Amino acid sequence: MPQPLNPMKGFIEIEVRDREGRVIQRGRHEMKSFTNNFLKIIEGFFNAYGNYPLTYAGITKVTITTPDGSSKDAWTEYYTSSSGSPYYYGGGVAIATRAGGSIDSYGIVVGSGATPFNLNNYALATKIAHGTGAGQLNYDPVTVDDLGLDTSVSPPVYRIRLVRGFKNLTSSSITINEVGIIARNYWKIQSGTLNDITFLIARDVLSTSYTVPAGGSATVIVVIEVTMG
Amino acid sequence: MIRAEVVVELNGKEVYRGESKSFVQNFGKILFAILNGTGGTPLSYKGSVSSAVVQKPDGYTATVHGEYYTTADAGATGGTTMGFKAGAGEDAWGILVGSGSDPVSPTQYNLSAKIPHGTDPGKLHYDVHTVTSSYSDTSSYVEIARSFINKSSQPVTVREVGLFARNRYQSSAGVEVDVIFMVARDVLPNPVTVNPLGSLLVRYRVVLTT
Repeated sequence: MPQPLNPMKGFIEIEVRDREGRVIQRGRHEMKSFTNNFLKIIEGFFNAYGNYPLTYAGITKVTITTPDGSSKDAWTEYYTSSSGSPYYYGGGVAIATRAGGSIDSYGIVVGSGATPFNLNNYALATKIAHGTGAGQLNYDPVTVDDLGLDTSVSPPVYRIRLVRGFKNLTSSSITINEVGIIARNYWKIQSGTLNDITFLIARDVLSTSYTVPAGGSATVIVVIEVTMG
Repeated sequence: MIRAEVVVELNGKEVYRGESKSFVQNFGKILFAILNGTGGTPLSYKGSVSSAVVQKPDGYTATVHGEYYTTADAGATGGTTMGFKAGAGEDAWGILVGSGSDPVSPTQYNLSAKIPHGTDPGKLHYDVHTVTSSYSDTSSYVEIARSFINKSSQPVTVREVGLFARNRYQSSAGVEVDVIFMVARDVLPNPVTVNPLGSLLVRYRVVLTT
């Protein structure tokens, strides 16, 4: 029986360096674990119209689960109120991942837990927080690169790469067992932020543990591949 | 893992069910633009934070936005990165059908030969979209579906289906961004003929399993 096509897959590469910058561990893992939160955003896009009258005020939203376990609205289409002042800015983003340095609430995140994956996962089992205290890693900014269409493979794929570095500025080793992607849903009006939530859209438990020594670093590369026709 | 299916029903009977194999590069580009967003912009920020260039059905390129903030004014401002839920009679976005059978390639940006909305011979009546979903620990899906009715006096043959998105942002002063672009196209292995007064239902289903 032929394997079903996987129209969106990817891989995770991890490289660990010691305090002198020498590569001491490297591995590659299939990325296969998008969560229900991700599928709900697709549902939100399916339900978005994109042709409202200019006077319309309303939303297209889905309910997702945030890392603390609470249910929140995530919007894929939003129009601010048409009355009153101050005047409004509208717009936003559904699943942003390009987090800045030291921000561990979205983007690529790492953890030490190994609880098996299920589609309802809404947080890493045990996230390693940003910082310099015991058990913490220093989070670099996330970069997102458009690698484009690759027709040299069959079937062709379109690749998007997310990269984040993590430095161990503590005096002890730290072990990474899981990698996740947390997205940010952010919409605003001029008078304030309308919605700003984060939620897990992918989590993979690694088949190998990666130990980042004191003074060392890890680079996590997530490549999302969309299979093309 | 994620799977995508296309299901075609003729007069209420399933005539095709297969994997959707045919995302095109426009989809990769808009996905990049969304993921490349950052959120948290200053409250006074206006304009694009993350964008990509896609190819429209007419072959021209256009900039779409994964994160965008409209002009401040007194009206209803905002928009969407990727809307699919076109209304009845709208044959420019959402699920579209065609009569062409050119093989799929990732750089395609339109159906080979779109069947337009209407009641004349060679046309189909485009209905509204419906969206359904189901979620569990091990298997979930979300589905968008659209019906097409032949209100003409001649049979209409469907050989291809496509999914078209709309990237649109507006303020009360006017529309600032409005771009329609194809994100997926599938050629059916066998043509499906819709006779007069017959109906066709096309469903795109995205399935998530552990």
